[in-house]
Amino acid sequence: MNLKITDLSKTYSNGLKALSNVNIEIGSGMFGLLGPNGAGKSSLMRTIATLQEADSGSIMLGDLDVLKHKDEVRKVLGYLPQDFGFYPKVSAWDMINHFAILKGISNPRERKEICEALLNQTNLFDARKRNIGDYSGGMRQRFGIAQALLGNPKLIIVDEPTAGLDPMERNRFHNLLSEIGENIIVILSTHIVEDVRNLCSNMVIMNQGTVLLSGKPAQAIEDMKGKIWMKLIDKEELEAHKANHRVISTKVVEGKIQIHVYHASQPDASFIPLIADLEDVYFATITN
Amino acid sequence: MFKEIFLFELKLWFKRPAVYIFFLVFFLFSVFGMLAAGGFLGNSDNDSNTIVNSAKAITDFISKINTGFVGLIILITIIAPAVYKDFQYNMHPLLFTKPISKFGYMIGRFGAAFLVALFVLTGSLLGHMMMCAILGGSDPHRFGPVHLMNYIEPFIYFVIPNTLLVGAIFFSLVTFTRNMIAGYVGCIAFVIVKNIANALLADIDNQTLAAVLEPFGAQAFRSLTKYWSPDEQNNLRIPFEGVLMLNRMVWLAISIGITALTYYRFQFSQFNNPISFFSRKNKKEMLSLASAPVLALSDIPKAVQNFTTKFSWYQTWFLAKFEFNKIVKSIFFLIIALLAVASLMLVVPLGGAIYGTPTYPLTYQILEVGGALFRLFLNIIIIFYAGVLVWRERDAKVEELVGTAPIKSFVNFTSKLIALIMVQAVLLVVIMITGMMIQMYYGYYKVEVLQYIKDLFGMQLIGLALTCVLTLFIQTIFNNRYVGYFISILILAIPIVFELLEWRNQMALFNSSGPELPYSDMNGYGHIIFSFFIFKLYWVGFGMILIVISNLMWTRGKEKGFKSRVRIARSLFNRKAKIVMTLSLLVFLFSGGFIYYNTNILNKVVSAKAEERSQAEFEKKYKRYTKTQQPRIVSVNWNVAIFPQQLGVKMNGFYILKNKSNKNVDSIILNLTTRIHVNELKFEKAAMKVVDDITNGFYIYKLSQPLKPGDSLKLDMSIDYFPKGFKSTEAGTAIVYNGSFFNSELMPSLGYNEQGELTEAATRKKYNLPKKERMSNVNDSIARMNTYISNDADWINFECVVSTSGDQTAVAPGYLIKQWNENGRNFFHYKMDCKILNFYSFLSARYEVKRDKWMEPSTGKSVAIEIYYNKGHEYNLDRMIKGIKKSLDYYTQNFSPYQHRQVRILEFPRYATFAQSFPNTIPFSEGIGFIAKVNDKDPLSIDYPFYVTAHEVAHQWWAHQVIGGNVQGSTLMSETMAQYSALMVMEKEFGKPAMKKFLKYEMRNYLQARALEAKKELPLKLVENQQYIHYNKGSVIMYALKDYIGEDSLNAALRKYIAKVAYQEPPYTNSIEFISYLKAATPDSLKYIINDMFESITMYENKTTKCSYTKTKDGKYLVKFSVESKKMKADSIGKMKEELIADWIDIGVFGSKEVDGKKTDTELYLQKRKITKSKMDFEIMVNEEPVKVGIDPYNKLIDRTPDNNMKSFNGNDKEENDAGGISVQVSSGK
Repeated sequence: MNLKITDLSKTYSNGLKALSNVNIEIGSGMFGLLGPNGAGKSSLMRTIATLQEADSGSIMLGDLDVLKHKDEVRKVLGYLPQDFGFYPKVSAWDMINHFAILKGISNPRERKEICEALLNQTNLFDARKRNIGDYSGGMRQRFGIAQALLGNPKLIIVDEPTAGLDPMERNRFHNLLSEIGENIIVILSTHIVEDVRNLCSNMVIMNQGTVLLSGKPAQAIEDMKGKIWMKLIDKEELEAHKANHRVISTKVVEGKIQIHVYHASQPDASFIPLIADLEDVYFATITN
Repeated sequence: MFKEIFLFELKLWFKRPAVYIFFLVFFLFSVFGMLAAGGFLGNSDNDSNTIVNSAKAITDFISKINTGFVGLIILITIIAPAVYKDFQYNMHPLLFTKPISKFGYMIGRFGAAFLVALFVLTGSLLGHMMMCAILGGSDPHRFGPVHLMNYIEPFIYFVIPNTLLVGAIFFSLVTFTRNMIAGYVGCIAFVIVKNIANALLADIDNQTLAAVLEPFGAQAFRSLTKYWSPDEQNNLRIPFEGVLMLNRMVWLAISIGITALTYYRFQFSQFNNPISFFSRKNKKEMLSLASAPVLALSDIPKAVQNFTTKFSWYQTWFLAKFEFNKIVKSIFFLIIALLAVASLMLVVPLGGAIYGTPTYPLTYQILEVGGALFRLFLNIIIIFYAGVLVWRERDAKVEELVGTAPIKSFVNFTSKLIALIMVQAVLLVVIMITGMMIQMYYGYYKVEVLQYIKDLFGMQLIGLALTCVLTLFIQTIFNNRYVGYFISILILAIPIVFELLEWRNQMALFNSSGPELPYSDMNGYGHIIFSFFIFKLYWVGFGMILIVISNLMWTRGKEKGFKSRVRIARSLFNRKAKIVMTLSLLVFLFSGGFIYYNTNILNKVVSAKAEERSQAEFEKKYKRYTKTQQPRIVSVNWNVAIFPQQLGVKMNGFYILKNKSNKNVDSIILNLTTRIHVNELKFEKAAMKVVDDITNGFYIYKLSQPLKPGDSLKLDMSIDYFPKGFKSTEAGTAIVYNGSFFNSELMPSLGYNEQGELTEAATRKKYNLPKKERMSNVNDSIARMNTYISNDADWINFECVVSTSGDQTAVAPGYLIKQWNENGRNFFHYKMDCKILNFYSFLSARYEVKRDKWMEPSTGKSVAIEIYYNKGHEYNLDRMIKGIKKSLDYYTQNFSPYQHRQVRILEFPRYATFAQSFPNTIPFSEGIGFIAKVNDKDPLSIDYPFYVTAHEVAHQWWAHQVIGGNVQGSTLMSETMAQYSALMVMEKEFGKPAMKKFLKYEMRNYLQARALEAKKELPLKLVENQQYIHYNKGSVIMYALKDYIGEDSLNAALRKYIAKVAYQEPPYTNSIEFISYLKAATPDSLKYIINDMFESITMYENKTTKCSYTKTKDGKYLVKFSVESKKMKADSIGKMKEELIADWIDIGVFGSKEVDGKKTDTELYLQKRKITKSKMDFEIMVNEEPVKVGIDPYNKLIDRTPDNNMKSFNGNDKEENDAGGISVQVSSGK
């Protein structure tokens, strides 16, 4: 099954253009949606997740028109929003059971089994009697994934799931995610390049509501090969370099500034060739 | 630091539109209040002696607005979050780390919010002042000149301290709990305290306590001003003294104390840990870093997803239960429920008491009191939780998770609606259980569980559910919680607006119930049940439409704009939704159409204005017939068929009319109430109808041959009354399923009837009608040709056959001659054996009868006593029978023989709460007396079933033997004398102390009611059917008169008077004649009292200022005391003029004795002493140790501060020295 987004546009009532002519085709497996804050990732996600309308364009999930038949989409959707909470004073077990009922799992025995399995899967079973309000950030994210997995979804959308997690939790979360995305579509939105590199077979890079690049991460890195150059400069030199070269990222290293520059060939001898990684691809794309 | 924070806050506030909106709300309250007062909103304007912009009126007005529910909510919104908002917006870490002083921060914030609140509240004052200035010219009787002081004083005495109090309490509550809900709970507690203080004040003994305890000073103010005459109300300043000063000081001290405590206890660091109602377990995150083995996803069991409609309903039910649990477990809900229960327990015992005597806690009473009380709580809960429910997902930030769940669109809203309705049901169960417990507590075990269920769950729950629908709809559509709250409160306040403006179109009033009837043990809910359910069906149809719209418009996901939600709604409007919508519309339209047909086509909705207009037209058209000579009815014979199930009656019968004048009568005017349908009116001799005005029920027949003086004419009548359908507001009570009661007012009368004329001066002016006095002058010889009861007859012969359904007994005046059953109906033939007034009644109900007999000792004549009552109302039958017997004893001995051979009391439903005396027949409301719970162990518990009986039996003399002309003062000889007669019977039965208590109520009622007099207060001699004068003042005056001239000589005078005027032909007696008999019986030295009591309005201000006593060597006690006396005459609006005093007034010394373990006063000395100076000293020797001393100790004279007449001694008062003054030695008091 494919998710095909065609010419999708959305402008908010305050004039902000959230999406403009977005065209993406997503097959099964993990799909990365990379972009800085405000790039339109969440708008796109919410539109796919039936929470938001589009001004024009279409989204097709297989034969299903996502914008028209929201109810049908919801039946096969698992969604983990970027910013979410839970009812106060409700235990994890009651909460997962609550969502299981909302997902239409009517058989109580089946419901119990699947809830247990998912809490086990996310390693929350021992903490199932605690109020979710008392959960740590990582536990909450894992619980979020657990609820998104309820009811055999065909399409899973996770929006910035690792923001604010410590490295350990992030790791665990990645393990969880990578398990999922085999036969179904998983869309992972993030601004952390590493997440995409680790998990996704396909991706797009978005900024200001438009798709700047789409393809496989490995291919994108390949395409960048030999075009990224590094140089250590003094702070005073930065402006001059920015004026003369396409500086895609800057970083302070031992009091000096390390700049990455995109150029088809070595600009001059002071630039050291660099093996491009996905981060360079990302920066090169969004600064274009 | 303080200055910066304070000014910064102020600036911030005044940039917010909310401040101006709040200001505007108060401003508009005043504007509309004043427009209504001036009669500019289409409401009818009533006469009044008081202006709306006196200091008192303004104080009452603003305290109603500012400390009303809306006012409190606004205050809380402004002041309470002054500090809390920093936490709410997570500003506190930034702020508290800055070097700000606690004083500057807290007091700066609080002070600014307080000032803003005061600014907002001035809206009501400014609105009031502006409207009074604008409208001032239009009606000088309602709007006096604008005095700035009248606004400044209440602002200083009430607005500022009350705002400070409310502000301090809520500021403290919210700051420490860090929860706005605490503020709202506090607000509700305030409303309850206010209302309970109100209810407590109804009890005559708790007034001072309530006045001090009520936090806003309104009760204290009321207790100081309740006896103010209209003149005083218009002109006096706010009396900042006594309980009011005490109240203000106490509460100001409390406010400052709370503020200080809040300041003292507040710590920047502490603010991070709020005070919680429950200690919250703050479990720390337990870190289990051990990475769990991740299972293969394929190992997760598969589950079948069910998307059937059936499962959608299960989901709805599941979510409803979830929401329900969330609500009933919330602290706010628990507190409100507890408060409601507590206030129900406090208020129920106070409800329904008459003369301080309570009733049995019948189920309907609990439901009525509880219903009124709970309506407030239930509405608060509905409004509040409607907001919580609609916003629950967004508050918890789960809205995206729930929004993407594959549930049908109706599940969200519907589940929340069901939850809110379930909460109402639970509260109704709470009412039910509380009510039953109250009943048990008072030893009343006839708990009608079924009635609780019928009333609460059969009737009230529908209305509550509809309110739930509306508030949830509002929250859904407006998509802003606070706007939603505001609009919900406005909409639920609409009935008040309807009432204020006298709008009667029930179809436009959300959740209206149609005509209303109170529940009656006799008649149950009566015939309104049908219209009630039709009206509710109409609103359920409307509610269903709202539900469908809400389901479609539910905010699911991130689209919040109204337009995009409409777009989404359109796509959701599928076949099923369309079907439900169509069905709802059909229900709404069909039931609406049916209601319209009933209320607007079968019956007419008449607006107050239209009614005025038609009254004016009637007078203009027909007034000229006032003087047309008419014959008199001399004989009445009716065949009345009552059909309780059809709520109707057929009446066939005849009058014999006799020309008693010395002129020919050539035309006869017939008058009928418009409800009556006329089949035929036929004169024995040829007559032509010349005026045939069906809309006004006014007919004139021209006789082909004039009726000569002394000649008679028979008028045959066939009329009936069957209501068509139901009306919008009014439920007829004349004929009901069980307990029909109507009187001769339903029958045709002769001549032009003044009863229908407009009475309010302003209204008459508007329609260019001449000024009209409330009653004809006491000497008006033409008016005296009629009694004040009927204008077309003197004394008549009366005979009738009454029939009713087979299970009922029908009763009319007269004696039962024959009784039979025909076609399943019961027939009763009654015939009166003596002449009676043209004033008779018909009653029909399923009666039980209790019979007894009274024998006149001197003649051996026996009188049958019958009480027709509703089964279950046996409580006070013996008291009534005793009342009848004792009354007959006293009246036959002291007045004249009883004219009938029978006394009958008949119970009728509590649609009216009076008893009324017809010849040998006394209809008696089930609401007074039948359910009274008299405490026989307490000699001061007033046995009002006995009292009412004695009063009504007395009317057989005072009204049915002696009746005054249709002029001023005539009710002196009926109502006042019936009161006097009853007082005498009661005094014999219950003793003097009980009389003192009874008269205390009478005095209070008189003084309170005269303050509300809208036209003019008159002396007893000229009383114009004013109840507070002829009943309440009459009691006090007659009791005093008896005391002055003696019971025997007073009764002798009455006997003479009765002998002279009983059964007289016109002209009828008047009060001048009556008073002349009293005067004749009064010794010359006391003649002045006749003028004081009957011919003028006399007030005293008596008090005892100093008192002391010494024990003499021979074991006696010398009592010394000083009294002050002031005597005043009041005019019709209470303007007082002091008069020189030269009056005989009781001076008394009282001891104390223990009787049955209770301390009771004993008279040691009681004598009338001539008071000739405003200040006098007395010395009196008594035999026993005195406790109290004073002037007019029994409050026989009318005095607005009766409590200072007496003074108690305390140990320190004993003194040795002699002082001047009058010295009297008595050997012994009684």
